[in-house]
Amino acid sequence: MSDLILLGDEAVARGAIDAGITAAYAYPGTPSTEIYQSIEDHARRHKLPIRGFWSTNEKVALEEGVGVSYAGCRALVAMKHVGLNVAADPFMNVAISGVHGGLVIVVADDPSMHSSQNEQDSRYFADFAMVPCLEPANQQQCYDFTREAFELSERLKVPVLLRLVTRLAHSRAQVKLAPSRAPNVPQYVEEAARFTLIPVNARRAYAQLIDKQGPLQAYSEAHPVNALTLNGQGKTGILVSGLAWNYLNEALGDTMGNYNVLRIATYPLPVKKIRQLLDASSDVLVVEEGYPFIERYVSALGLMTERRIRGKLTGDLPRMGELSQDAIRPCFGLPVQPALQLAGLSDVLVGRPPRLCDKCPHSDAYIAIKEVIAELGAGVRVMGDIGCYSLGYLEPHQAIHSCLCMGSSIGMAIGAAHAGMTPSLCVIGDGTFTHSGMAPLLDAARENANIKVFILDNSIVAMTGGQPTMATDEEVVDLVAGLGVARKHIRIVEPTAHKKHQTIATIREELAYQGLSVIVARRACVTYAKEIKELKEIKAHKIDVAVVSA
Amino acid sequence: MNFDLVIAGVGGQGVLTIAAVLDRAAHEQGLYFKQSEVHGMAQRGGAVSAFVRLSDRPVASDLIARGSASLLLSVEPLEALRYTQLLKPDGWIVSDITPMLNLSDYPDLAKVHQVLFSAPRLVALDATRLAHKAGTIKAQNIAALGAAAMHLPLPMEAIEKQIRALFERKGERIVNANLHAFRKGDAASRFTVALLAAGIDGDTVARVVSHIHFPPHPVSAEVTAEWAQRLRAPDDAAHWIAQFAQQGELARLETLVAA
Repeated sequence: MSDLILLGDEAVARGAIDAGITAAYAYPGTPSTEIYQSIEDHARRHKLPIRGFWSTNEKVALEEGVGVSYAGCRALVAMKHVGLNVAADPFMNVAISGVHGGLVIVVADDPSMHSSQNEQDSRYFADFAMVPCLEPANQQQCYDFTREAFELSERLKVPVLLRLVTRLAHSRAQVKLAPSRAPNVPQYVEEAARFTLIPVNARRAYAQLIDKQGPLQAYSEAHPVNALTLNGQGKTGILVSGLAWNYLNEALGDTMGNYNVLRIATYPLPVKKIRQLLDASSDVLVVEEGYPFIERYVSALGLMTERRIRGKLTGDLPRMGELSQDAIRPCFGLPVQPALQLAGLSDVLVGRPPRLCDKCPHSDAYIAIKEVIAELGAGVRVMGDIGCYSLGYLEPHQAIHSCLCMGSSIGMAIGAAHAGMTPSLCVIGDGTFTHSGMAPLLDAARENANIKVFILDNSIVAMTGGQPTMATDEEVVDLVAGLGVARKHIRIVEPTAHKKHQTIATIREELAYQGLSVIVARRACVTYAKEIKELKEIKAHKIDVAVVSA
Repeated sequence: MNFDLVIAGVGGQGVLTIAAVLDRAAHEQGLYFKQSEVHGMAQRGGAVSAFVRLSDRPVASDLIARGSASLLLSVEPLEALRYTQLLKPDGWIVSDITPMLNLSDYPDLAKVHQVLFSAPRLVALDATRLAHKAGTIKAQNIAALGAAAMHLPLPMEAIEKQIRALFERKGERIVNANLHAFRKGDAASRFTVALLAAGIDGDTVARVVSHIHFPPHPVSAEVTAEWAQRLRAPDDAAHWIAQFAQQGELARLETLVAA
């Protein structure tokens, strides 16, 4: 039987390692975090010379990956779906420039929003950028498709997007590995024009990207996983992609043979096969995980009257959330199975939402902030951000009033202040601050905006499992000061019950000041105390090494 | 053979450890499996679940369909109730009775137990205390796993082997504590199944079993039969339930037999 038990994320990681990557970069985000994590762990354990790290943000991670590709080597870049928004600029443009060494961007979507603020479907991004997208349906395909993506990337000189979804990223199964391939020997791009997208070059590059669409189309048409099974003229057709294949399989079981079925695992869409399916079928059900991406194309937004196309747009399948066998069965008139019924269940079944850990420094920070703003009467709003401290929205704190996207709290506080909101407060963690909070703080500093920024510095990226933060302790203060915030309005408090009165006094003082204040609530995460200590030692060691080398 | 198992609990209670033990045991037995789990935000003290799907043929879906799980294994009683819609009408529930009280609106525990104890095929045990008696309260999840073992399509030895492998680096004491917890859980399950087979009402069985300090081996057939006899008449059962409840601590069967 098979070799290893791997998560979907881990299978991608092993696929990349065995494909001979020279480097990998990522920003942590559920459900993609374990991809880079396991590359790093594996490389360390087996002393492989794979470079890379947790990058400052997804944009930087992708640019680092493009640099590796420019040098003729292979790179994997991993992020969650909303991370691709951050990396959209290099993503769209490396599609134009094309790649040199193989470049694969793994993006993990989160249908049902288990740990995210939206369910955006990354296939749209691949389509938008005109690059191929591979969509594995199981852990074995995670491994195989990652390796294939590198081959495709180098053959057609395009970046390749590998799309995962939560249920695959975080599900384990057995995976068979294939012999590994040696990394590329560095060989820089000879022609500077290729990666220099000034208009004269960009026009040529864009024309080349358009020319690549033919071979990409041919690749999809010929791909063995994009299998068309015709079981009879005039039968109902099913167009199924990615993970939805598994659910369809279980929903229909042996009755699958009563339908014409086209399975899709690669994009651009294999249009010739879709044409054959339409010609052979009376009507077509489109089953896909995520947005109705294929359905919109095939049904032409419902304008296509030649064949009836059913799916998420028509309400035959749920428009939101992840699919399941149970969501699909009603489309075929199949009942869902009876389950155990217990009397009185609904009377006792209450939700158990996540919460901040016991003794979490964020709790003490929120207690102090809430106490001060309560003195100011009702109506004070606190802009929140993304991290463990987003849980401050929930009971018992209910201390934040927004959570839009990474780094948004500071910009929103500036805007709210401009609109007349006083005081205008926001909270952001140390990791999110360096990810994308520094640019808006520069805006605030430039005009000394009357906002109060709380940086909750717990020395680690905690929500995703304890990845290293880019800056903590005095580094945060130096960054803030370097962006132009007056030193005397950068205050440091220790969020503990013991020091609550001092914290509150400091906040009151800064609220009295009409201008930009940054209050750093500095106390290490209790859950990752051990990791923080190790990370600080590693960082100190790297600095020592650099000094010695110098 | 297809066997779907839901594992439930609260972030930090070792749900994923149970899943990992079963994955490896299934893999070694030459079975196919898929096992999906929850990471990220929910792990911060929220509801956590893992789905384990075992089969002698490749498994397609990572999710368990409604009404198709054969077993629901929970390390917390309220969390057991959260997934009953995935369980077959005749599926087994194995649950610790000890609540994780990190909720401001945790429902009345007596009511939670009442609903849970109405399940027709239930092993309700005090996995937390059994683990404590076995040597470490952290083995709560393994005690619960022990209570599930006889209902799984995997040999006991295969599971024990993976428990040993998992805790090996923590030393012999921890390995033994976990193996004892596992066997105590198994004893609870076998005792429960025998009482239910003898026709004792499920609620009674749950209320008795969840107060017993089981040994790390199955209770003898004689002692089991004796208890089935004692609990047969409703009045006697009520008496024994009251006796057990009064004890507060877990009671050894032998001491109560002697009394």
